[in-house]
Amino acid sequence: MAGEEQENNNNKGFRLLGILDVQNTPCARDAVLHGAGGSLGAGLLHFLTTSRVKRSFDVGFAGFLLTTLGSWFYCRMNNAKVRVQQRRIQDGIKNKIMYEGSAHDPANKPGAAPPPLGPS
Amino acid sequence: MALPSQLGFQDAGSPLMEELLHFHDHALMVVFLISTMVLYIIVAMVTAKLTDKLVLDSQEIEIIWTVLPAIILILIALPSLRILYLMDEINDPHLTIKALGHQWYWSYEYTDYEDLGFDSYMIPTHDLTPGQFRLLEADHRMVIPTESPARVLISAEDVLHSWAVPALGIKADAVPGRLNQTTFIVNRPGVFYGQCSEICGANHSFMPIVVEAIPLEHFENWTSLMSEET
Repeated sequence: MAGEEQENNNNKGFRLLGILDVQNTPCARDAVLHGAGGSLGAGLLHFLTTSRVKRSFDVGFAGFLLTTLGSWFYCRMNNAKVRVQQRRIQDGIKNKIMYEGSAHDPANKPGAAPPPLGPS
Repeated sequence: MALPSQLGFQDAGSPLMEELLHFHDHALMVVFLISTMVLYIIVAMVTAKLTDKLVLDSQEIEIIWTVLPAIILILIALPSLRILYLMDEINDPHLTIKALGHQWYWSYEYTDYEDLGFDSYMIPTHDLTPGQFRLLEADHRMVIPTESPARVLISAEDVLHSWAVPALGIKADAVPGRLNQTTFIVNRPGVFYGQCSEICGANHSFMPIVVEAIPLEHFENWTSLMSEET
């Protein structure tokens, strides 16, 4: 029962605008935080150079959109690469177990590294 | 299974459902950013000076709000089309099962194994043991091996039904006189629940689908046991 309550608490993510679950969506929290930082930086920089308040807010918001999107895509692409690698490793392990010692064993192919010498 | 008051998807049990979850996250991020932008524009318009209402046209903003939605749509459409075609791939299934909808239960036939078939009725609430889920448990589960592509041929014997397992990203209509095919791979051992998804009469809500994924060696033992019983 305690485990179920803990699982329920962990699953109740915080939804920004009621839409985006930043706790349970991979990369969402980092993207929003990077966006907030980018927004602050861009807006502040624009204000310091131009002293235009309203336009600086607009620039800050544009910075938020671009930084959030950029961080999101970068993180998602890296995650996708890791997932593909993970699947390849899993398939490789499964194939090695299945074909070890048989004609299909990749270690038997010419040019493959010789197996380590065991005890005589 | 879905938890009470759960809004999001269940944890994925198949690679296809994982891809659907990732696409859903991507689409929600786009929706969140658009909503934020709309909120910001509303606040900006409410706080704008009254003299600004005399601005009649602006070529720059017209170009932006024509091009930007097109780019957003492309950003959503490309991964969506990828998944759409991924769902239609047939990947040489190792096992074929027939799922037939009846009023009001499912029957499963494993024709790869001789004479292996059984009915799957919902366990009534008063017969549940502690720890079982109300309206979701069935007396006989559809058992499949993990990490093996499986094909399910879905049909119905009487009226329309629909065979759905959300955790595996599967839903296919069971139409009398027609065979609909779906293929999937289950990544991990576990029990996955679904419910009939096409209105089919009085007990439409009481004909659940339970898929149990077990390692292959245990699956072979299970088929031997079930064949002896039937």
